[in-house]
Amino acid sequence: MRQILWGFFKKIVIADNCAEFANQIFNNSTNMNSSALILGAFFFAFQIYGDFSGYSDIAIGTSRLFGIHLMKNFAFPYFSRDIAEFWRRWHISLSTWFRDYLYIPLGGSRGNILMKIRNTFIIFIISGFWHGANWTFIIWGALNAVYFLPLLLTNKNRDNLEIVAQEKYLPTVKEFLSMSVTFILIIISWIFFRAENIKAALNYLFRIFSFSFFTIPKFIKTDKALVIIILIAFFIIIEWQGREKEYAMESFGQKWRRPFRWLFYSFIIFLIGIFMPSAESPFIYFQF
Amino acid sequence: MKKFISKIFVFIIFSGLFYIIFLFFWGSCMPSIFKPNINYTIGSYGHLYSRLDEVKNKKNIDILFLGSSHAYRGFDTRIFSEYNFESFNLGSSNQTPIQTKILLNRYLDQLNPKVVVYEVYPHSFMVDGVESSVDIIANDKNDLLSLKMAFKINNIKTYNTFIYGFIRDCLGLNKKFTESTKKGRDTYVSGGFVEKKIGYFKPREFEKKTIDLKQVQLESFSEIISELKKKNIKIILIYAPIPRANYNSYSNNIYFDKLMSDYAEYYNFNEIMKLNDSLHFYDADHLNKNGVSLFNKKLIEVLKNKE
Repeated sequence: MRQILWGFFKKIVIADNCAEFANQIFNNSTNMNSSALILGAFFFAFQIYGDFSGYSDIAIGTSRLFGIHLMKNFAFPYFSRDIAEFWRRWHISLSTWFRDYLYIPLGGSRGNILMKIRNTFIIFIISGFWHGANWTFIIWGALNAVYFLPLLLTNKNRDNLEIVAQEKYLPTVKEFLSMSVTFILIIISWIFFRAENIKAALNYLFRIFSFSFFTIPKFIKTDKALVIIILIAFFIIIEWQGREKEYAMESFGQKWRRPFRWLFYSFIIFLIGIFMPSAESPFIYFQF
Repeated sequence: MKKFISKIFVFIIFSGLFYIIFLFFWGSCMPSIFKPNINYTIGSYGHLYSRLDEVKNKKNIDILFLGSSHAYRGFDTRIFSEYNFESFNLGSSNQTPIQTKILLNRYLDQLNPKVVVYEVYPHSFMVDGVESSVDIIANDKNDLLSLKMAFKINNIKTYNTFIYGFIRDCLGLNKKFTESTKKGRDTYVSGGFVEKKIGYFKPREFEKKTIDLKQVQLESFSEIISELKKKNIKIILIYAPIPRANYNSYSNNIYFDKLMSDYAEYYNFNEIMKLNDSLHFYDADHLNKNGVSLFNKKLIEVLKNKE
């Protein structure tokens, strides 16, 4: 039930609210300044994560109520220290399928350098193609292959197999920087994933690197966006403390007395009731 | 299994109580950006609080006006008084049939009107009614009818605002509230009309749109008409004038006219009168003082002819 509740929070509070701003900024990107475009990409990153992992949590939690154990689909991917770790933690069911039925039959990471490069590009491009027949998805896949290749070729793709900052409250500076760089790379790739076409994605990227980089973001309802950022911060804190578990809220408050634990769950329900957008918003992955 | 179900049941009661209590504190203490789903504005735009305060003392009138802002800004009860019609205007912002129904349930018997003039604006049938429902919740009493309205609208904002408003009513927090008759350019006139300081609309282009009515609104509308007919109250449906450019932006006005004519006696004043967009309106929707005067006199002419 905790997993279902957290799934609803991710979908309704995080994803659906981020969607409002991501849509506004991506749909009017030519009129936005650089800082607004950065925020737009940031909101989209949390929209797609909240939407899809929320959906997965609801499905996994519901199945468990009926005694069916489904595999974990997301393992806190935004806390990854490199792209290889990200892909071990994002959409695990699909990645595992591609690994078992495509990557390994192709030869995997065995063979010469050219074979490794070929296999990496094939798997990432097909993964992009799986999302839709649009060049944006192909480029998104290819870009991830480009991110992944240096790690593969230097044999560093399996450096970060354990959970970040295990049994610690905070990451080290190095871990924090690695997570930040990985997150930025992922955000850049999401721009291609979200944009209408390649031209729009490139325009979006070029406009980010303009003189308006240091200006205040300008878009409609900036005050509401600030509230959403506070909610995202709350979300990240809960996800961070639960990163060693199956899902973020698995052990949250387990040592508390029941009334306090229930108060926390009730507070999550309350946040859903207060921040749920009025308009219905379908799951993004329903289109794939 | 039994233990699991009973635990869930206790948790639902626990979290339900927490939700209600915390909602009240959150609604009372937090700035509006932190409570997007509690929209409680007592004394809101449109003077609904004053109107509903006044209606409680009204009885046995000749004409009752219903509808959206086109009604409370379009039917000047003073003009009707000049022609010996005692009237009251029960319009409210963006009032949809769902809200009209609740207002009629509360005040129709007491007002006992001979005629109901119901302003029907296509947009009021095209929206979910959330905006108008929270307006009524904040400015009128909250009872079982409000709860029924909330269920019909089925929107989290209406539910939250209802819970918040209900607790405020129970604690008597609105007893000392008074609404000023003058707010900005608006003046509340006894009888429910809101007069806007004279202004002129600067004509502009409107995006083309199609009238697409919501089934749930049509159902409520149908129920209202049946109820009024059952009580032998004469019903006149009015499509109040809007700027020509706005009116023409609807591609299927004929469909709307035909539909309304099927329900009751219906007049589309956009076809009956030829008003000037800038001289007779103050914005994209509402008549100015000059427009109201012309429109009301024409309506009275129609009413007199029917007598």
